[in-house]
Amino acid sequence: MSEYSSKRPGGVNAIINDERYRSVFYQVVVFGLFIWAVFSLIENTQINMATRKMAVGFDFLKNSAGFAVAWTPLDYKPSDSYFMVYWVGIINTLILAGISIVLATFLGFVVGILRLSRNWLVAQIASWYVEVLRNTPLLLQIIFWYLGAFANLPRPKQSIEIFGFESLVLNNRGLYIPKPQPEDLFWLTVLAFVGGLIVAVVLNKRATKKQQETGKYISTLVPTLVVIFVLPILVFLLTGMPLDWDLPLLKGFNYRGGGFVLPAMLAVMVALVVYHSAYAAEMVRAGILSVSKGQTEAASSLGLKQSFVMRLVIIPQAMRAIVPPMISLWMNVVKNSSLAIAIGFPDLVSVFMQTSLNQSGHAVEIVAMVMAFYMTVSLTISACLNVYNKKIQLTER
Amino acid sequence: MTEITEQNTVSEKFVPKPDLPPPPNTTGAIGWLRYNLFDGFLSSCLTVLSLIAIGFLCVNFYEWAFTKAVLEATNRQECRITPTEFGTCWAGVEFWFKRFIYGRYTDSEIWRVNSAAIILILWMVPVWLPRVTAKLNIALTGVLIFPFLAGYMFLGGERNWFMEIMVAVALGCFITVIVHSFLCLVTGSGISKWIIKLAGFAGRSERLHKVPVIVSAAIMFLISLFVINGVAFKEMSNNLWGGLFLTLVISGIGIATALPAGILLALGRRSKMTVIRVLCVAFIELFRSVPLITILFMATTMFPLFLPEGFHINKLASAIVAVCLFAAAYMAEVVRGGLQAIPKGQYEAAEAVGLTYWQSMGFIVMPQALKYMIPNIVSNFMGLFKDTTLVSIIGLYDLLGMINAVSQDPRWIGLHHEPLFTAAVIFFIGCFAMSKYSQHLERNLGAGHGR
Repeated sequence: MSEYSSKRPGGVNAIINDERYRSVFYQVVVFGLFIWAVFSLIENTQINMATRKMAVGFDFLKNSAGFAVAWTPLDYKPSDSYFMVYWVGIINTLILAGISIVLATFLGFVVGILRLSRNWLVAQIASWYVEVLRNTPLLLQIIFWYLGAFANLPRPKQSIEIFGFESLVLNNRGLYIPKPQPEDLFWLTVLAFVGGLIVAVVLNKRATKKQQETGKYISTLVPTLVVIFVLPILVFLLTGMPLDWDLPLLKGFNYRGGGFVLPAMLAVMVALVVYHSAYAAEMVRAGILSVSKGQTEAASSLGLKQSFVMRLVIIPQAMRAIVPPMISLWMNVVKNSSLAIAIGFPDLVSVFMQTSLNQSGHAVEIVAMVMAFYMTVSLTISACLNVYNKKIQLTER
Repeated sequence: MTEITEQNTVSEKFVPKPDLPPPPNTTGAIGWLRYNLFDGFLSSCLTVLSLIAIGFLCVNFYEWAFTKAVLEATNRQECRITPTEFGTCWAGVEFWFKRFIYGRYTDSEIWRVNSAAIILILWMVPVWLPRVTAKLNIALTGVLIFPFLAGYMFLGGERNWFMEIMVAVALGCFITVIVHSFLCLVTGSGISKWIIKLAGFAGRSERLHKVPVIVSAAIMFLISLFVINGVAFKEMSNNLWGGLFLTLVISGIGIATALPAGILLALGRRSKMTVIRVLCVAFIELFRSVPLITILFMATTMFPLFLPEGFHINKLASAIVAVCLFAAAYMAEVVRGGLQAIPKGQYEAAEAVGLTYWQSMGFIVMPQALKYMIPNIVSNFMGLFKDTTLVSIIGLYDLLGMINAVSQDPRWIGLHHEPLFTAAVIFFIGCFAMSKYSQHLERNLGAGHGR
């Protein structure tokens, strides 16, 4: 064996030309370069931080932040720690992004369906809506909504009463809404609602199963509605309406009590919803158009009712094309909600990456923490997407 | 039997009756209206509502933009149309418009920015002309060498030996491209053929043909070195750059680096070598999962810490590096999408012919994949152009930064809406043109659903 290999011409060349050895060699070189780059970056950073007398480590998280946050649903005081600020930022970002995602998806479906309308004028308006919103920067839109609409609101004394309600008012301090205050037995109503949801899901599953087995269609609309809505309302009434409302009232120059939302938050939310609804509309339109016309015709020729054709044939197939891009759009909403910093809504980037960073100077730690949050969110979302993709692939074959 | 049938056919020859006219109200303008706008009760309601909404919008917009317009004023106070109400102060936009485009660049030096833009346009137009040859070389020099010329024209000041050479090379390339394109358009053969013919090498062997070309390139280089020798521009430090000019510089550099970097990252992601694949995936996922604004903050706060002692990086450079990293990660995913659309047989066929990895990628896979990718690449560029506005948050005066600066000018304090509207129109024109162009490409390349 050794004799044979020694006889082969160009032993060194054989090694150089062997793909396996070369690939190992390249990988070692790349890995070495990477390690060298990381170490020199760390070393430079340490030297620079030492010369600038910057402290290292996460101990600063326990220090008192000492600044107020303009809006948060949490019980936050300026004397709380930086870690609390991080938490406040995360909650604010998630609330802003969560509400925007729901509304943007809904509006996107409406606009996407309107774009496919046979009514020429409506389709044109919807398509211009999409074009204008997609072709201008989101940051510009946020500033536009803030300065154009929500910064010019009247003072509290001249508040706008929405739908004529005295306790639902809009002024330059924000939107004031009644705040629900649950009493002792309210948990029973919540329990009834959750239980109702579970029962409704089980009912629907059973109806579907029965239809698949026997072909007999059972309408579950009425029992579902009864279980989800009527049952909790009954429980609510029987336990003696254990819910109080904390109403905002004009006292002096400002409203007190109730819940309120900053004008900046409204502006960011409107901008996020409107901007992303244009993208969602395009996805919905493309999804519906991706289902071939033959599917509609085949379903009709089987004798399905028009509403069944839509519900059982078209929508499930369209969803397959709509859901994956829609989920990455949701990820974009979470990321783009960081633009709220431009008009001063206290989201994670604004309270932690700007104010806390400027105050404490712990740049490396803070940047790492903020990036870790966004990465967690997006990795979670893409994990969900992968699960969904697996599921629809199974039903495909 | 046969006689009878013949007789029948002769006597009862089918004569079609003349066509009936279509039912009234189904053709022409009325038919179109009925079918497209008033097809049923719901449709009619929607039409009427839409018309009311459009009318409302138009009336309000007309009132805002024209009726209340104040075209001549020297400060915002003069824009009042009544003692309590401000008119639409287009005078302020006019006053600031130069600043929107060029930032705080000195007026007497603005011609430098303009001429760099014209040079770029002249450089790139031949790529779209059908008769011009060697398009790839023109595009590559435009992307790789033009930035040195532009960088010097924008920045000015002293040149070191490196910049001296690069500016001379760029100038030489530019003149060559122009002459070449002109010769191609007029005579149908490119500059190298003409040089060979004029030098009398046309009859000699192919191997000698490069001699006159190289000699004339060297002469060209020496001439342009001589030409620029005495010329020096006034130094314009980059904190004077701003407006649309800065937006285009940042997004232009981002676009120019994103494509090659994205291709390398995408190839790395599909590589069989584990270390390279893991590093590429980590880079792409990291930069795609965090918002651009956090990368920009990271750049401004952490890049100065990363550099060895004695090196400094200014804010603009950090922002440009951040935008490039971000754009490369997004481009890598676009390229990966294109690579996945190429059937596996193409890779195998390339390998079977004995091409190396880089040959098979460069000659077989990439040309096909790029065709699929072009619409996505253009929309990615559009996104980058829009996302560049984020640099205004870290304190650079790009177009949006200048818009915000207007409202802090004591003379025009509080002037928001008109400048914002102007910026929106500028962005809309740019992005709309790009998206229409990408749709046109999609149709022409046949990569869409249509075929």
